[in-house]
Amino acid sequence: MNPRMYTENDIHLALDGEMPGDERAAYERWLDANPDMKARADRYAADRERLRRTLEPVLGQPVPPRLQQMLSQPGDRSQRLSWLARAAAAALIFVLGAAAGYGVGFVGRPSADAGTQAFVESALAAHRVYSAEKLHVVEVGADQRDHLVGWLSKRVGVAMAAPDLSPQGFRLIGGRLLPLGATGTAAQFMYEDVTGKRLSLYVTRQSGEEETGFRLETEGGVNALYWLDEGYGCVVAGDVPEAMLRGIADSAYRQLLQGPHA
Amino acid sequence: MRVDDDRRAAIVAELPRLRRYARALLRDADRADDLVQDSVERALQRLDNWRTGENPRRWLFTIMHHLFIDQLRKVKRQVPAQSLDHEAALAVPSDQTDYSSARDICEALERIGADRRAALVLVSVEGFSYAEAANILGIPAGTLMSRVARGREELRALLDDQDRRRSIRVVET
Repeated sequence: MNPRMYTENDIHLALDGEMPGDERAAYERWLDANPDMKARADRYAADRERLRRTLEPVLGQPVPPRLQQMLSQPGDRSQRLSWLARAAAAALIFVLGAAAGYGVGFVGRPSADAGTQAFVESALAAHRVYSAEKLHVVEVGADQRDHLVGWLSKRVGVAMAAPDLSPQGFRLIGGRLLPLGATGTAAQFMYEDVTGKRLSLYVTRQSGEEETGFRLETEGGVNALYWLDEGYGCVVAGDVPEAMLRGIADSAYRQLLQGPHA
Repeated sequence: MRVDDDRRAAIVAELPRLRRYARALLRDADRADDLVQDSVERALQRLDNWRTGENPRRWLFTIMHHLFIDQLRKVKRQVPAQSLDHEAALAVPSDQTDYSSARDICEALERIGADRRAALVLVSVEGFSYAEAANILGIPAGTLMSRVARGREELRALLDDQDRRRSIRVVET
């Protein structure tokens, strides 16, 4: 068999999934032998990732009413409106949270009562322990996503979803069940970005009526954004800037409200 | 009317992707949604032309491409529309820290030729195969392939350029 010659053009073919499978191995060897070409292939792959991540949020944005109206049918109208209303409500919660954050500042954290504090402390402690874990970072991996979500929903007593945070650059690793206080339970979903940085989403059932906007707690280089709403108590924690955490919290919570099969 | 209902539902299902593609082509959010709206209008007028079994996504993207090309021809004779800060809407709320990164890449994308931009986005972002993308754009597969490659190189060159300008600015201050 004659090994074929590879050229720069093959970088594009490989990246675009147009290279036959049986040529892949030889192509990879060619890349390894040509560091310039390897660097170029890596740059193009990174550019593509950046492009996708930049445009991805459009998919999640509510479709403008003018487009919806053109296509709406009497039968399915109500259903779509309710979805829109939900998305709008989630956006409003996010805006309120952001406004509270900027307006009041988090200096005093006036109304955080003891119970609220406890679940945030617990989430931060769990984040510290498991985000640093190399071998057993989760109990159930993302490959069993449905099982993970079903199991945690049952054990924590509230409808769960494992939000897709890939538009924000974080991939789901999996999750685990955690104790909370003397009798409570909580779910932790762990995520990781391409650099290995970890982010956790902590979800508990909240029986009280209390609702909060997003609040920030910072401890040892970890930012934690937490909120109580709709029977959920949630904490998103990670070593990422506050603004990014807000985006993540908003997306995660929207997906949580939509349920696992949204 | 049952068939029409199914087809309308299929168009609704494609709206998010049509909007994303339009945004990649036009950058300006309002102009992008105008393009989507025109495409949907055209699609509704031609519902009967839609062959049963034809992939709705490919059909709709093809319609949008034709309208985009028409629009380019018209715009060439006009003053270019001013781009507002639409990357804010693009990157927020899901990803605020990538704001400047989003702005940079949108800026670069806007500056590469429209033919190359369309080819690159269809393949790289929308995930069409070369054959499908060539079909949507109505060009031979070989032409599509070279547009993707040139578009990708051009985009990288523009991003390199931005990085260089930024590091110069840092040195100056």
